[in-house]
Amino acid sequence: MKTNQKKAWLYLAPTIIFVTLFSIYPILRAFGMSFQSGSLIDLTWTGFNNYKYIFNDPEFWLAIKNTLLYAVISVPVGLAISIMLAWIIFDKVKHKALFETTFFMPYVTSTIAIGIVFRYIFNGDYGMLNFLLRAVHLPAPDWIDDPAMSLTTIIIFGIWSSLAFNIVILMGALRNIDPNFYTIADMYGASGKDKFWRITMPQLVPTIAFLLTMNIIGAFKIYTSVYALFNGAAGVGNSGTTAVFYIYNKFQTVGTPGVAMAATVVLFLIILFATFLQRKMMKKIGEN
Amino acid sequence: MKKIRLGVVFSYIILFIFAFITVFPFIYMILGGLMNFQETTSIPPTLIPHHFEWSNYAKVFARAPFGRYFFNTVLTATVTTVVSLFNSLLGAFAMVNLRFKGKGVIQMVMLSLLMVPGEAIIFTNYNTIAHLGLLNTYIGLVLPFLTSIFYMYYLQSYFGSISTTIYKAAMIDGASDWDYIWKILVPMSKSGLFTVGLLSFISGWNSFLWPLLVTNEDTMRLLNNGLSAFASDAGSETQLQLAAATLTVLPILILYFIFRKQIIRGVVRNDIKG
Repeated sequence: MKTNQKKAWLYLAPTIIFVTLFSIYPILRAFGMSFQSGSLIDLTWTGFNNYKYIFNDPEFWLAIKNTLLYAVISVPVGLAISIMLAWIIFDKVKHKALFETTFFMPYVTSTIAIGIVFRYIFNGDYGMLNFLLRAVHLPAPDWIDDPAMSLTTIIIFGIWSSLAFNIVILMGALRNIDPNFYTIADMYGASGKDKFWRITMPQLVPTIAFLLTMNIIGAFKIYTSVYALFNGAAGVGNSGTTAVFYIYNKFQTVGTPGVAMAATVVLFLIILFATFLQRKMMKKIGEN
Repeated sequence: MKKIRLGVVFSYIILFIFAFITVFPFIYMILGGLMNFQETTSIPPTLIPHHFEWSNYAKVFARAPFGRYFFNTVLTATVTTVVSLFNSLLGAFAMVNLRFKGKGVIQMVMLSLLMVPGEAIIFTNYNTIAHLGLLNTYIGLVLPFLTSIFYMYYLQSYFGSISTTIYKAAMIDGASDWDYIWKILVPMSKSGLFTVGLLSFISGWNSFLWPLLVTNEDTMRLLNNGLSAFASDAGSETQLQLAAATLTVLPILILYFIFRKQIIRGVVRNDIKG
């Protein structure tokens, strides 16, 4: 049984070559560059200066603050709505596939294109949303052009986009729950509420933990939807800037790749920490 | 009894409201792309255009090379899909059916790389591509995406369910590995490969940040970059922006409606594993 089939390396070669060049090398390079200053063609060692720079840069803190706020608000709200909708579809609706197909649409469609549509729906003057809000006498803020509203607009768009993936995964998990649980519960006359909180929710916990991590990681990487909503900017006066926006700006526009890479390393560590936390959480749940 | 009924009605109302919110932007996009300029900015907003302005589409094609964007997008999405599928297929085969020293290490490295966010390496990859002089080329657009650990991992779980006794039987019958891959493994996992292919094509179609970095010539842009540039250039002409957005979304939406079952099943299977 101690065979060593060296030909395996032949089959793995393309993957290993590409992964080394475009996944492993760039991580190490990013780490190295975060200690260097100058332009891309003329980098010199600078120690921890880039890290000092970003930690003293109010724009960096704004980006981190926005990204965190976005994650902390949009993820739980989006997940709660998704659980509610998935449960309704699973429990009450006959044409499950129809609703699943409908809710999944945003997942496959281009964020840029839909962002343009949202920019238009959110328009302060002639947008559909404000028309509806005015019709019911609610305040109609300037979603796009008011810097104070940027983050709210990004969050709403983020929640809208996140439902698709969440609902489909939750539906998959709901289908996997042993139907006998519900049959027995019915025999004992359990109410709908009881069934949801005592059978469905506990069974969904691993899936919810998984979605929480995926969503939080996704939230930390938010970029394209902001770009689309505000036509290439991060909101008026950079009010809606995010971590990736900051990195892009420092890398491409300002031309300080070292600073950009320092911010990348920080973002990477935050994401790694979130993943680690989720692993711990899953283990705890597994033990119980 | 009455209380339960009320609950059902209430659930349906919530469901329909959210379904409407989900679908509305798509409907509005398509309708808005057929309005004239006054209709798109009227107060109260117009929902159904008085007269379908199909000429908006002619204008979009006249203003920006959308035909070229389409070609670029289809080409790069197809090449990345085919090549990355091929590479992950070979890799997954080796990981499932062959025994070799270092397998555990490879598996561990691959799994930890799955956690690396693309955004963390995209800028240094830009650096590499720039050094190779591949900015504004098709090769530059596809090169970092010619293999996918994610798909390899996915296929591994797929191939794992095909019994290894089949592999051993094929070997005894004198088949080569290459024969086994193409005559047994591929036909037996056709649906899995197809789903992975679809998902890869869709994500290639929707890619944005990478092409934004490595191209700045109009002729090399992909659809989404062309669209966002067009949206800035077309400025206030909302109806043209919406028509262009429709052009970008509609092909994928059609593909989605045809293969919705495979796509949804593929995503669920993909991600439950984490």
